[in-house]
Amino acid sequence: MTALTVIVGILALISAIGVVSLRSTIYCALSLVGNMVFLAVLFLLLNAQFLAAVQVIIYAGAVMVLFVFIIALLSPGSEDTPRLDLRFLVGIVAVFYVTLQIFFLVGNGSTYDRNATACTSATQQQCSKNPLHGAQVGQAGSPGQLSFFPDDVNKAGNVQVVGGQLFTTFLVPFEITSLLLIVAAIGAVYLTRHHVSGSRRT
Amino acid sequence: MSLDMFPWLIGLSTALFMIGALGVLIRRNPLVVFMSIELMLNAVNLAFVTFGRFLNSEDGQIFAFMVIVVAASEVVVGLALITTVFRTGRDMDVDDLSEMRE
Repeated sequence: MTALTVIVGILALISAIGVVSLRSTIYCALSLVGNMVFLAVLFLLLNAQFLAAVQVIIYAGAVMVLFVFIIALLSPGSEDTPRLDLRFLVGIVAVFYVTLQIFFLVGNGSTYDRNATACTSATQQQCSKNPLHGAQVGQAGSPGQLSFFPDDVNKAGNVQVVGGQLFTTFLVPFEITSLLLIVAAIGAVYLTRHHVSGSRRT
Repeated sequence: MSLDMFPWLIGLSTALFMIGALGVLIRRNPLVVFMSIELMLNAVNLAFVTFGRFLNSEDGQIFAFMVIVVAASEVVVGLALITTVFRTGRDMDVDDLSEMRE
């Protein structure tokens, strides 16, 4: 399990570097599809089966098809080498600085309990219930409260648990999501339609 | 998956996010800039799911689901904008778009 996680993580990193470094736009899109599929595998390993399926269907399916369609429509040529101007240097330095800072923060364990062991529903009596500081969720035992330990989630089914949460606790954000999708669809239709009617007139 | 993997997964998420940020900063093709934004959103999704897994909570997955919806609508509107701007045969370069008029 750990070896698979490491391999998929390295592949995700390589494909992400491909997205920003490859010259041809269509190769960038291909690299991004690979990155999304590897992230879906990571989601599977992290006990998020529903999200892995959504990732493959929506991202690798719908969004990337849209990208490839636009690339084919506009057919941009390959980009020349990036300019070594001030923006390039400042970008690289800032990005590496922030990355190192976050690595240091995660590496010295200030956000989680290094001695904690992972909880399952069988071992939750012995192990630390708060592997991350300030964690107060997912504690089974009190009546009427849902348990989100991986064993319990797998027993009930990941889709059932996520859907149950989505339609009870997170019902209002879920409905607002539909509003957002309507607005996005209307906006896209308006933007492209406006252009077509303008070009017909000329 | 044991808790030992937690810092590595958060580190992987950080690295992916920063690669995406680098792409936004140094690339000039607007389509590649958009792909880099997708990369950053995916990295945040990975962080959400990782935290949710190690906190024994489902909230991370639900928030990642919301992020996917927002990313999908953002791609639709953004690609419509790119199509509208660049169909007139302009160069595919975001540096040329410093002013928002025809």
